[in-house]
Amino acid sequence: MMNPDEVEEKQEEGNILVWLTGSAWLAAIIGIFIYAPTERTEGLIQRIMYFHIPCAWLSFFAFFVVFICSILFLWKKDREWDIYAHASAEIGVIFCSLVLITGPIWARPIWGAWWVWDSRLTSTLILWIIYVAYLMLRAQSDAGSMRARYAAVLGIVGFLDIPLIHFSVLWWRSFHPQPKVITSEGIGKGMDPSMLATLGVSLCAFTLLYFLLMGERVRQEKLKDEIDRLKREKLYSS
Amino acid sequence: MDNMGFLFAANAFVWGGIIYYVYTLKQRNRALEKDLDLLKETLSKEG
Repeated sequence: MMNPDEVEEKQEEGNILVWLTGSAWLAAIIGIFIYAPTERTEGLIQRIMYFHIPCAWLSFFAFFVVFICSILFLWKKDREWDIYAHASAEIGVIFCSLVLITGPIWARPIWGAWWVWDSRLTSTLILWIIYVAYLMLRAQSDAGSMRARYAAVLGIVGFLDIPLIHFSVLWWRSFHPQPKVITSEGIGKGMDPSMLATLGVSLCAFTLLYFLLMGERVRQEKLKDEIDRLKREKLYSS
Repeated sequence: MDNMGFLFAANAFVWGGIIYYVYTLKQRNRALEKDLDLLKETLSKEG
């Protein structure tokens, strides 16, 4: 258990993060709807990019955290890493779902179809299915180290889909646009500087949100653990 | 305005999704905190 000073310090850190995230989101909204110019060929609909790409980035980052924490859990057998992996997987699935929703909304007026079985779209759908299965595995099986171990293996294997998603537009013919931020010519060479700046602010806002959500989600798992521990104590003492 | 409806729909999903998730997260944490306090109180009463 934390002492009152530590609790106060944690709360202060949490408040700073809330303010930082709020400010970054405000700056991102101003950038998206006021500062960034309207793209010439796609028009207003192109502004979906400022949400679509950060959602994709956040989900990939969240699954990367699952990958690292799962390896650390299998290595150290420390419940703490399992908690971080579980929390991150849930956030990753939420944002991967938003990618799979905003993508078709953007595609409909541009491609004339909500969905095409293209390599990028299909591999992203597979990623979503893998991590939904990960969460289902955690929800269905009994709590314990075996469940955590199976989940960790799935968390590691699932991450292998992410490089495939990234390179799919380069390896195969695809409807999906080629990378515009990181290109062979350098970072942001294929974009207008004001669009790149807006995307950068939006990426920061989503990343800060990730840390805020992680804090809350990890706290939830720790509260559950504490309740279980007290219930077990009560059971054994009676 | 071109494709304003699509832009609005995408925004609504992103904002709606995030707000709903934060709300449920806060609700679940509050319920768990209440359970924990109740449990601690019961245990301290039982001695």
